[in-house]
Amino acid sequence: MRPTAKPIAAAALLALGACDIGGGTGYVELRTVPVAARLPALYIDAEKVDAKVGVTVLRQPVGTAKLQADSGEGKVLLCQVVVKKNRITTVTISPLERPPRCQCERTGNDGKACIG
Amino acid sequence: MRRPCTFATMRAGLFGATIVSLALFALSQTPASAQADGKVAATADSEFSRQLGELKKSFADVSRTIDESAKSIDTVQNPEQGRKSIEELRDQVSTLLNAVADNGEISVLGAKALSVADEKLKSLDRETRFKPDEKQYLVNRWRELRTATEAAIKDLDSARKDFSELLRSLQTSEDYINELMQIREHEKALQVIHQLSDGIRDASVKLKKLLGTIQPPGV
Repeated sequence: MRPTAKPIAAAALLALGACDIGGGTGYVELRTVPVAARLPALYIDAEKVDAKVGVTVLRQPVGTAKLQADSGEGKVLLCQVVVKKNRITTVTISPLERPPRCQCERTGNDGKACIG
Repeated sequence: MRRPCTFATMRAGLFGATIVSLALFALSQTPASAQADGKVAATADSEFSRQLGELKKSFADVSRTIDESAKSIDTVQNPEQGRKSIEELRDQVSTLLNAVADNGEISVLGAKALSVADEKLKSLDRETRFKPDEKQYLVNRWRELRTATEAAIKDLDSARKDFSELLRSLQTSEDYINELMQIREHEKALQVIHQLSDGIRDASVKLKKLLGTIQPPGV
């Protein structure tokens, strides 16, 4: 690759990243109950979530995202979160349960916020 | 902040991104010695401050739009028009929440700036090159910067909480209006829409308060 091709390729990637190619952005609000419980490592799709004790609000592309936990024995699927455009989906996690569990709220008029 | 991809935004984005990438490329060609720890520390902190400053500007614009939306919701005559106004408002609030989300660029930069300040304070503790009064001056300045960064992060946390509550309130009202319209309770739906303007004004007041308090560190 020519030296100048690298920044141009990176520029194209950055430009694409700044755009909303798909169906937009939604939000996932992760709540942990009880608040004082120690959280396992959490992942949304492949990305590690820097989850805080209490409430964490994450922006996420519209669609279905896999929420996984890893307590040191490999990733376990907790639930699949439905993310809708300009909407916030709340998922409550009980880290004390083994494996941790998702509690899914209802969203909109057409179903649950998460599956699993 | 994400936006729909049109040819114009792609072209503008591509142009901006090219400049950024060429600058990054140019930086990557400088000797390693030029990218010392001090520079990294200054970059994390100043980038956080810069982005926080830009955020304040963009929030001021959104705040004006929210005020206008509250006024227009008061005068809505039919539920369908109201539903459209709520959808537009959700879009505005989403813009705000997008900027302050925990995995957003500013929050990540804030955490990085804070950890850089912590590291700097630790390394200054072990520092032997400077005179005691010089060292104390640096420690004091980094402590001030750390405190200011922490305060800005706290403001972002509070903004995140307010915006997510507002977004939830809007989507719940919209869902309720949809339910009411399904049973042809148009008058009741209109009432719910008009009641929303109080909540929106409250959010607008909170946003203005935030704009007044949020202070980029080091400014």
